[in-house]
Amino acid sequence: MIGYLIRRMWQMALTLLLILTVTFLLVQAQPGDYASFYVLDPDLPTEVKEQMRATFGLDRPLWQQYLIHMRNTFTGNFGVSFGHFPRPVMEVLLERLPRTLVLFVTATGASFYIGFLLGKAIAWRRGGFLEYAATISGTTLFTVFTPAFALMMIWVFAFKLGWFPVGKFLDPLVWRGSDVTANSVFSLMLITALAFAVFAFWVLFALKRKGNTGMKRLSIPIILVAALAIPLVWALSGIGTLALDILKHMVLPIVTLTLISFAGTMLLTRNSMLETIREDYVMAARAKGLPEKQVRDRHAARNALLPVVTSLIYSLIFAIDGSVIVESVFSWPGTGMTLLEAVRSEDMPLVMGAIVFIGLFSLLAHVIVDILYVYLDPRIRYQ
Amino acid sequence: MSVAQTDPVLKVTDLTLRYSTRQGEVKAVEEVSFELAKGQSLGLVGESGCGKTSVANSLMRLLPDNARLVKGQVWLNGEDLLSLSDEEVRRFRWRRIAMVFQAAMNSLDPVYKVGQQVIEAIETHGVETTIDDAEERVARLFRLVGLDPQLMERYPHEFSGGMRQRAIIAMALSCDPDVIIADEPTTALDVIVQDRILRELKSIQQELRMSVIYITHDMAVVAEVTDRIGVMYAGRLVEFGNTADVFRAPMHPYTAALMSSFPSVSGERRPLGSLSGEPPNLLDPPLGCAFHPRCAYATEVCRRESPPQVSRGQQWAACWHPLDGQTSSTGNHDAY
Repeated sequence: MIGYLIRRMWQMALTLLLILTVTFLLVQAQPGDYASFYVLDPDLPTEVKEQMRATFGLDRPLWQQYLIHMRNTFTGNFGVSFGHFPRPVMEVLLERLPRTLVLFVTATGASFYIGFLLGKAIAWRRGGFLEYAATISGTTLFTVFTPAFALMMIWVFAFKLGWFPVGKFLDPLVWRGSDVTANSVFSLMLITALAFAVFAFWVLFALKRKGNTGMKRLSIPIILVAALAIPLVWALSGIGTLALDILKHMVLPIVTLTLISFAGTMLLTRNSMLETIREDYVMAARAKGLPEKQVRDRHAARNALLPVVTSLIYSLIFAIDGSVIVESVFSWPGTGMTLLEAVRSEDMPLVMGAIVFIGLFSLLAHVIVDILYVYLDPRIRYQ
Repeated sequence: MSVAQTDPVLKVTDLTLRYSTRQGEVKAVEEVSFELAKGQSLGLVGESGCGKTSVANSLMRLLPDNARLVKGQVWLNGEDLLSLSDEEVRRFRWRRIAMVFQAAMNSLDPVYKVGQQVIEAIETHGVETTIDDAEERVARLFRLVGLDPQLMERYPHEFSGGMRQRAIIAMALSCDPDVIIADEPTTALDVIVQDRILRELKSIQQELRMSVIYITHDMAVVAEVTDRIGVMYAGRLVEFGNTADVFRAPMHPYTAALMSSFPSVSGERRPLGSLSGEPPNLLDPPLGCAFHPRCAYATEVCRRESPPQVSRGQQWAACWHPLDGQTSSTGNHDAY
């Protein structure tokens, strides 16, 4: 296993190098460079233009620029952003990365969960109303033009109904006069969510595994109490309104991302279930007199899960793609929007930095899913 | 083999099953009736597609959606299984009738430990109260079927074919059922493992005084392990009797043909017979006796009218021209 991981790391580094090189070439293939915007200004004297190009290193030959960017990237300092001068790339990204991660992880998690539940249900009872409703709406949402759909969501829920804000990360009016930064509040929110997830997982699985039936019955109430206690603590903490403001801004982009991506998991689960339902061990489970729900969940769906988990990667990558569009439509200042801006203005250091993070994220997701596979399917072992 | 005095554990009367398909209605099982006493073993034999597995699945009430039970009753210890609600059937499965599956290779769920899958059945039916007791029980069962109890912690893919079959047998025994149905229990195994498992199954059956139904097309299996034999053809039971009697002197020409197509190791040398033709299409079975197109003894009456049931001691056959045992061209050899 350790040897396998080390080999995977090498492969990841190589893949990342390739991604970065291709990105660099693609961005350079655009006409002009970052300084072009200023160079076209007739009021600037030629020496200033030249000096400007030299400041950004744009006067050097392309291969030298490539090597400089590569050195910066692989030594982990990424350099200074052209567009956000003089802020270092690292600082810009660290501010925006958590916002994107929250979007990705929540939307992917939600769409995977919804897709799996629906797929399981429609495969088990074929030909029902649910199957037609879920398949038609799911495929429609999956294939719809994302920006148009996102704008529709804004039009309906933010503009017409006024339930949610139109876009952005927060509402400045709410934050006026507060002495905390948005990022510190957001980090606290993330830590709370993570702690709750770990706690719920521990209650559900650690206690269950002990075979203690009394605790098993208590696990759901315990989680519910914790889930109720968290908003209470936040409301009393004084920054509750600020957190609520961020939460309100999060809802629409997450719902939109979830809606456009759940159908993939749903259809895959459905097909995979239709295979496993015919397996002999499902028949055997039924012959053993297990309740139908147990036959479906513990045997048919559990085995149907295996190919679906592989697709988790694709839905993650789909979410990353989607996030560039969705973040732009909702003006959500995350990595996706940053990347789009940086590419358009040829802010090379920022492009490289954003690509490194997005690339690392998807490569790591691959490794995580591969490792997850070992736990899901006992037949798989890595040497 | 005087087992007929006790009350039957299982009594099947006039079981008739149809499958509706796009081509029409398949008459899979037609008026099958038999009894099984405690501690007795019955072999249901016949070619593929003659309705053996459909009978077994009816006993478990594990039928596909397009199956329809037209008539008949299945009495298990005086309780009519076919009138139970789905939930009652669920509780009753495995606890009262368990099954050793046709495809033992794939009957274990690949993602759970083998022991856990046996415990699952025990937990569902509440046979033992605690996990420790259940584990102890599984260990005992594993020892009974000749598996190391340590193997409980292994996954199915780590088992060989024979080990899986043993695990399935242990699983079938786990809730002390009244009847075990063994559907082609050893088809996928090599002959040596097959023989050992059959012998063990037989000794377990005798030790625990269980009733077992073997479903097979292999006459050798039937000869080795069963007390009674039922020969099926085209969804009907065509001959029934004590295994020894049937092997000594089959009454139905089909039984005789089946037996002549299997070699006998200890018997006299003889050419192997083969039965030409195919089993009839159950969408539209032949009139009269379903076997008449392939039967050497068929006459006009066989083509027109259903055959009567002819008895000889405890043995009976549904035939217009039953063989009397002496003139049979293929009888007179002992398969043991």
